[in-house]
This record gives sequence, C-alpha cells and structure tokens, in this order.
Amino acid sequence: MLTFKLALKNLLGAGLRTWLNVAVLSFAFVLIIFYNGMIDGWNEQARRDTIEWDVGQGQLWHTDYDPYDPFTLQEAHGMAPAEAGLMPVLIVQATIYPEGRMMPVRLKGIPARQQTLALPTEALVPAGDETRIILGKRMAKSAGLAEGDRVLLRWRDQHGTFDAREVVIAQVFDTNVPNVDAGQVWIDLAVLQEMTGMPGEATMLVADQTYAGSAPEGWAFQTQDQLLTEIDTVIQSKKVGGSITYLMLLLIALLAIFDTQVLSIFRRQREIGTYIALGMTRREVIALFTVEGGANSLLAMAVGAVYGIPLMAWLAQAGIPMPAATDNVGLAVAEKIFPVYGLGLVLGTVALVTVAATIVSYMPARKIAYLRPTDALKGKIL
Amino acid sequence: MIHFLLKGILRDPKRSRLPIIVVSIGVFLTVLLSTWLGGVFGDMVDMNARFDTGHVKIMTRAYAENSAQLPNDLALLGVNDLIDSLETVYPDMDWTPRIRFGGLIDVPDEEGETRAQGPAGGLAVDLLSPDTREIERLDIRGSLVRGRMPETQGEALISDAFAQKLDLEPGEAITFFGSTMYGSMSFYNFTVVGTIRFGSVAMDRGTIIVDIEDARQALDMEDAAGEVLGYFAGGRYDDARAVALRSAFNAEIGERGDEFAPEMLALRDQNDLAGMMDYMDVVAELFVFIFVGAMAVVLWNTGLLGGLRRYTEFGIRLALGEAKGAIYRSLLMEAVLIGLIGSVIGTLAGLGLSAVIQHYGLDFGSMVPNTGMMLPTVYRTKITAQAFYIGFFPGVLSMLLGNALAGIGIYKRQTAQLFKELEV
Amino acid sequence: MKTFFMAFLLLFLGSGPYPDADEILAKVDANMSARNRVFESTMTIHGRRNSRTITSRSWSEGDARSLTEYLSPAREAGTKMLKLEDRLWIYSPISDRTIQISGHMLRQSVMGSDLSYEDMMEDRKLTDLYEAEVTGEETLDGRATWVLTLTARVEDVAYQTRKVWVDQERFIPLKEELFAKNGQLLKRTELSDVVRVDGRWFPRTVLYKDMLKDGKGTEFHISEIKFDTEIPEYLFSKAALKQ
Repeated sequence: MLTFKLALKNLLGAGLRTWLNVAVLSFAFVLIIFYNGMIDGWNEQARRDTIEWDVGQGQLWHTDYDPYDPFTLQEAHGMAPAEAGLMPVLIVQATIYPEGRMMPVRLKGIPARQQTLALPTEALVPAGDETRIILGKRMAKSAGLAEGDRVLLRWRDQHGTFDAREVVIAQVFDTNVPNVDAGQVWIDLAVLQEMTGMPGEATMLVADQTYAGSAPEGWAFQTQDQLLTEIDTVIQSKKVGGSITYLMLLLIALLAIFDTQVLSIFRRQREIGTYIALGMTRREVIALFTVEGGANSLLAMAVGAVYGIPLMAWLAQAGIPMPAATDNVGLAVAEKIFPVYGLGLVLGTVALVTVAATIVSYMPARKIAYLRPTDALKGKIL
Repeated sequence: MIHFLLKGILRDPKRSRLPIIVVSIGVFLTVLLSTWLGGVFGDMVDMNARFDTGHVKIMTRAYAENSAQLPNDLALLGVNDLIDSLETVYPDMDWTPRIRFGGLIDVPDEEGETRAQGPAGGLAVDLLSPDTREIERLDIRGSLVRGRMPETQGEALISDAFAQKLDLEPGEAITFFGSTMYGSMSFYNFTVVGTIRFGSVAMDRGTIIVDIEDARQALDMEDAAGEVLGYFAGGRYDDARAVALRSAFNAEIGERGDEFAPEMLALRDQNDLAGMMDYMDVVAELFVFIFVGAMAVVLWNTGLLGGLRRYTEFGIRLALGEAKGAIYRSLLMEAVLIGLIGSVIGTLAGLGLSAVIQHYGLDFGSMVPNTGMMLPTVYRTKITAQAFYIGFFPGVLSMLLGNALAGIGIYKRQTAQLFKELEV
Repeated sequence: MKTFFMAFLLLFLGSGPYPDADEILAKVDANMSARNRVFESTMTIHGRRNSRTITSRSWSEGDARSLTEYLSPAREAGTKMLKLEDRLWIYSPISDRTIQISGHMLRQSVMGSDLSYEDMMEDRKLTDLYEAEVTGEETLDGRATWVLTLTARVEDVAYQTRKVWVDQERFIPLKEELFAKNGQLLKRTELSDVVRVDGRWFPRTVLYKDMLKDGKGTEFHISEIKFDTEIPEYLFSKAALKQ
C-alpha cells in the first residue's frame, strides 16, 4: 500500500509528462471500448432486425426447400404442420411485368394478420376486389414500382396451369434486412393458397416464442442461431479487422510509458540508491517503479471516464449514423447503430490496458536489479 | 551548425538513440495505421470494386437497366475496339472484359449421359492472358480448395460446395448448357481443374469460373462482353478521377448513343456506394486524426524527456559560458534533426511494411468462424499519398514542441546551482 | 305480330345452330395430323436487338415421338432434339454430349423464342384436354371461321382456356389465343400461308407471340412437308442422336 501511495505521488509529481501519457492511454482505452461497443451494438441490431423481419425464433423448412435454389420451390411445399407457435409462409415462383419487362420473383404468401414478423402485412388484409402485394424498397426500386402502382403478376397453380392477374402495390416497406426484400413480393397467404390451389400448404414456417420445437416428418427445423450464422461471421470479421487499429493506438501509449520509465529510472538513480540504502530490497524498488508505470493506466481510466462516459453515453443514446449502402452480403445495416457497452467489455479492456501498462513499466525497471547502491547514490552508471 | 549537430547526434548514440527510436516507432505506427485504415475502411468498397463495380464500369444502358437478369443479349459489342481505344486514351488503367451468365452444369456418366445436373451462375474473366490481373483481383488462387488454376482454354473452376453436390472431382469433365447471346442453345465442355470457396453462401452454391474466351465461344459472344471494367493503376480507387472519367466518356458517347451504346458508371454510381464511401472517408479521417493527435502527444512527451535527459549537459555548457539562447536554439535544431531522422526512418519502415501487407494481406481467416461470407478475412493496407507525409507532423512538430517546453528550463537555471548539480 | 315473328326468326338464325365443336376439332385433327410427318422449317426469332433465323428438319410420328435436327446457322448445325413421350434429350455435336432436359428446364424458352420446351412437348390431343364449344363466327383475312372456346377438363395443362379460330371450309386453325385461369391473354398464335399438300390443307407459317412481353414474337415457316412417309424406327432412339 505504501508502494502504491508513493508510486502515485511520484507519478503525479511528474506533472505534464504523466498527463501526456495518461491522455494517450485514455484515448486507447476509450477507443477500444467504443469500437467494440459499436460492433456489439451493430451485431445486436443486425441480429434483432433479422430476427424481427426474417428468421423469427427459427424456421421449420419443408425438407425440399432450399432458399438458394429457386427451382426447388416447385416441389418444396406441403400441408403446414398444425403446431402451436408457427406461422406458415408459402413461396412460389412468379413473374411480374412492370412495363413489358419480365421479372422473375419469389411470391411469398404470409398471413395478413400475423404478429410473428415485423413485415407490415396489415396492408395485405383484403379490401374490395383488388389483390394486394407489398414489397421492400430495394425490390420496388429495381422493378421501378411505387405504392399504388398496378402490375401484372403471372404464376402457375399446383398443376402448372398459368394464371395471371393485376395486383396493387399496397405498401413499399423499408427494412434493413435484404433477405425479405430483394427479388420477392409478399401477398396474403390465404390469397396465395387459393391462387395456387394449395389450401393449407406452406413452404416454411416461422416460429415464435410459443413454439415447442418438434419437427414433424418432412420438415426440418433451422434454429435461430443457424439462420444467424452469417451475421455472426461478418461481425467477427469486423471485430478482428478493427482490433488492429486500436491495438496500434494502445501500442503507442505503451511506447510512451516505456520511454517515460526509461527516463525516470535514468534521472532518479540517486533516489533509487537512497531507497536501497534505506533498506528497501531491489525487488521492492522494481515493484515501486513498476507500480508507478502501471498506475498510468489507472489515471488513464479515470481520465478516460471523465470524457468517455458522457461521450459514449451520448452516442448510445443518439446512435451513430450509418450510410445507406447496398450490402451484398445480405447483412442488416440500420441507418443508425447504437453502441452497446457490456460489463465484460469494460472489465476486459481495463485488464488489457492495466496489464499491458504494467508489463512495459516493468521492462525498464528490471535494470535496477543490476544497480550497485553506492554507484546509484552517486548518480552514475546506467 | 547543422553539420555539427548531426555529428553530435550520430557520435553520441546515448543521447540521441532513444529519442530517434521512439520517434521512428511512433512515425512507423502512424504511417502503418493510416494505410491500414485506408485498407480496412475501404474493404467493402474495394470488394465491390473487385467483384462487381470496377473503378469504372462500362455496359450498355439496356444491359445496365436489367443487369440483375444477366441480359447478355444486350451486351456490349465491339469490345476489342472499345478496349483498344480506352487503352490508348487511358494507358495507365487496366481495362478488362467480364461476362456473367447463367445455365445448367451437367455431369456425364461413362456413357456420356446425364449423371447429375444443377443450375449454375457463371463468371467469365480473363484467366489466361499472360498479363491478366483478374486472378489476383478476385483472389482466385487464394480461394482454391482443391485442384489447380486453369492453364488452358476449356478448363474451369467451380465452387467447392457445388462440386460436392454434383459429386465431382477435379479433373472430371462437365458440360455447360445454356443459351447464347442470341438465345440459341449452347453446349460447352469444360474440364473442372479446381474447386474454390468464395465465402458467400449464395455463390458457393453454384458458381463456375471460366476464361473469358471460353465464355465468348460458349455464348456466341465473339468480341462481346456484358461489362468492361476499368481499374486504376495500383488498384487504388480515385473517386474524383473516376467521376471525371465517366463524365467525359459519356459526354463523348452521348451524341451517338442508342440504348446499346456503351455507358460508363463510376464506382460511386453503383450499388449505392456513394454514401458509403463518403462516410468511410470521414470515419477514416477521424481515426487518423485521433491517432496523429495521440502520437503527437506521445512524441511531445518524448521531446520533453529528451530535453530533461540533458539537463546536466546544459548545466556544463552554461558553466562553460555558452549563452542560454544558443543552447536553446541548438536544442531545438537537434530536435528537428532527430524528428526528421526518426520520421524518415519511421515513414520508410511504415511504408515498407504497408507495401508488404498491401501485397500479401493479413489473413484473419483462422480467427473468423469458417461458415464463409463474401467478406475479406484477408486485410490489406492501402498506401495513399497521405502515408508519405502523415508521420512527419507528429514526428517533427511534436519533437520540437516537447524540446521547446523542456528547454525553457534552461533559462531558469541559476549558475550557482549548476555547480551543485555538477558535484559528482 | 308479323314483324315480331320475323325478328324472332332472325334472332334465332343469327345465334345460329353452330356445328358441334368436337366434330370441328375432329375434322381439324384429321386434316392436320398424320401417321407421320417430315418437314423442313425456318424459325425467325425477333430479339430486342436483332432477328435471326434457324432452319431445321423434323421427323415426327403421331404426337409422342419426334426428332428435330438443326441445319443452320453453322453454330447450331447438327444439334438434335429428341422427344419420346414426356422426355426430352438434346445432343450437340460440338460438345458430343447428350443432355436430358427435365423439370424446371422444360419451362425455359427454346432457342430464345417465344415458345417454351413445354409448349413444344405437349402431345396430348386437344379433345382429351379441353371441353370445346363453338362460341361464334368471325372472318379472318377473308376466310369465314368458327370461333371455338376450349376449357380445360383436366388439371395439368398450362393454359386453362384457349380460343381457336377454325376455317369453316378447310378445317384448319387460323388463329389461337392462350389464356391464364383468370382470362388474361398470355400467348397468341397466328397461322397463315395455307397450302394444299398431299390432299390436305396446311398452314405453312405460324407466328407465336408472348403477349405479356414487349417484342415482335417468333415466326415459324414450313418450307417443305411430307406426310406419311417411311421413317426408320432407329431415328427415334438416343443412339441416333450421335449420328
């Protein structure tokens, strides 16, 4: 405890030099927490959005269903199992003809009054004679369609017989999840089942919390985690890529501490000699200097907290705006990311910074072990 | 004077070595970080450029409007002339044709009859020209899972998962069945010589990569291509230049342009990348700013330490009668020299390592779960003009500032006290 | 009273006692189908950018078996398409491969035309698939026609209803329209250039048009046709594809 008090006193006594080091170290400290917080926030948002819009609490797929092979859709449907907590979705291939152009789409039937996903399916509740569809903004853009437009839709029923009708775009929705947007349009499930002559059938079912988890014959359950693997991968890769950045900043801060330590030991030889002459062992002196260097990290945390906590709290509130760009990887990117700072993240960063600062403080201090107290008292050697 | 100081610096390593090392390391890290951020923040843009958008891309307007449907019937014609003229006007750029196509991959049994079949998306690039950059650009060699790269025409790569689905080994023959640019049936035999993994589930499900000349024969697209991509020298995207290039090109074509005339798009015109790029620029600048700031603080401290280290020396020099101003000036000159030496060493080292990382990339593949995404697990630095000078700000200025502050002490020294300090 | 009676009579005559639709179709069948046919044809496909013409020679026996060999352009020459019942193989001499076309591929267009393989593959008799009814009379290009409306009586047909305009004298269809279940017109076929071959009337030119897409459609022209000749049996085998 004495060592610690003494170390802190020495450190504060060094004035500007200490505060410069502390400033840089606190930068590194705040940046590490901020960057990871941002990525965690992104991860959380991407997972949340994808769960809300697309995967729910997992999905039960018809065994023939392969989302990457549209040709499987012809066969991949069957009577929807009547388990609780499952919302059926029927998917068929269809073609829309915006202005004489031919565009193949996936036509997805979803119950208009569903609550499982965030899709604005209320807009599909039938009204009058018109058949309503909704589609995402990406799809609307690539087809050149807007809310209220009419477009001819052609599909085949379960026997392969062509059918076609004009449909109204009841709503163009804005989602971060490309998976429910690109290359597809949504229609009321009952309407689609009637259109195709497949009453009661589904291609896949989206589970909510009440689903018990049993998969009947002919259906396979995809857990939420399985469906979110891609997101986890992207996030992991962003984390790894970003870590280099803040590790470099940390390295700079450590360089500063190292440099400072070298100088203190050089300039304070007489002091060291005195300590030893007064009966402190070399180990104790090394400990003193190491603690002194390491204490930089404690000050850095304090300083970092002073400006970091308000800053990060504000960012967590206000969010970090993100650019609207088409992400080819199909990852949900919101307009704003709200950083999330977990306890583990903060404690982990504290440990990292403290341990690293202590190590670089210890390295130059080891020299003290080879010091002859008499020489040291004279202020020679080193 | 400078000569004298330089001698002092070089001959008295004890005095100058540590500051130079620290400045060098600091500048080295600054340069590295600047190129690293350029690379990491640009990775998404860069991926788009490599796989899809080019730095500029030329298509027919009709093709561009329906590009999602791979409408090769609307492809560019007269591509060789087009590329020749582009190479004349923009000799420093790399112009390369690509064809995207769809079709069926059919695997024969011993009798030559269909054993397995699956829908495939095709990408045809220049694989075989001796000076092709496409292999490196798409990191095809790095994505090989089994087998080898195509070496002659008629050899193809397919995605590994697809090969497994078709129960196909490298060395086996397949037939591509699709339709030509004009809608006729197309049959073309390939030998699968290798399998690749892109990391994107969608692409890994069924992709075939072939040489552009094979695709031209298969799809009856002699002298045609769906798109012609242009890349700036060094693979670095220069937005202002791309936009200017696009405007000039389109203005020239515009007068005689029907819907099949070539039309150029800059990278930022595609995939909504404009917003992303502007944003990345701001964020990268911010990071560099923070970092340079931090570095400046560290080197300031180094300067301070350097000055403090030499209090005794100054004492002696004062005692010998040297003017305080002269000592102070020489201290500052030395600081500048040390800063410059350190900055040059650091910048060279930083650029050197950046160049290595830019070339080879840092592979974090093992740290990322192996489900695969079309995401770079290989990170690269990106050497920009900024990297050449960015290190000098903290390197020289901060050293100077630190020494200047430390040197103020010189003026405070009392001669009487000096001798006390000097008693050894 | 007298005027009323006349009017009633006119009305009665006007709505006409139409002939039985199945009878008309039977006569069409008798006229159009043969034990076998050998013909050479050209197909002109109008694309968005250009048009091209493909020539071929076909051998067909009934509706179930047929072989088509493409003769030109050079690129297509030697490509053969063999249809046996509901299976389809395509052989290409360049790749020396025979590929079976199945499932979803059958729904793709043939040679970029407005016809799908599936359209080409349909080999069941119209009278087996559709309930026919004469629903009017019209004059097309100076020929009097019966307008037949065909409604599917089986489920697995691509088109729920068809309208066929049949020449009242020669019993050949001059026009056909294909409809989706809800009545949306999907495709139109126009037949013209009617000639007499071996005692039958036969339309030599057929224009196919996908009505939902922009475009000029696909023109099919028979330059030479022979009915009921001897076709060697081996022609309809996979082995013959490679020869």
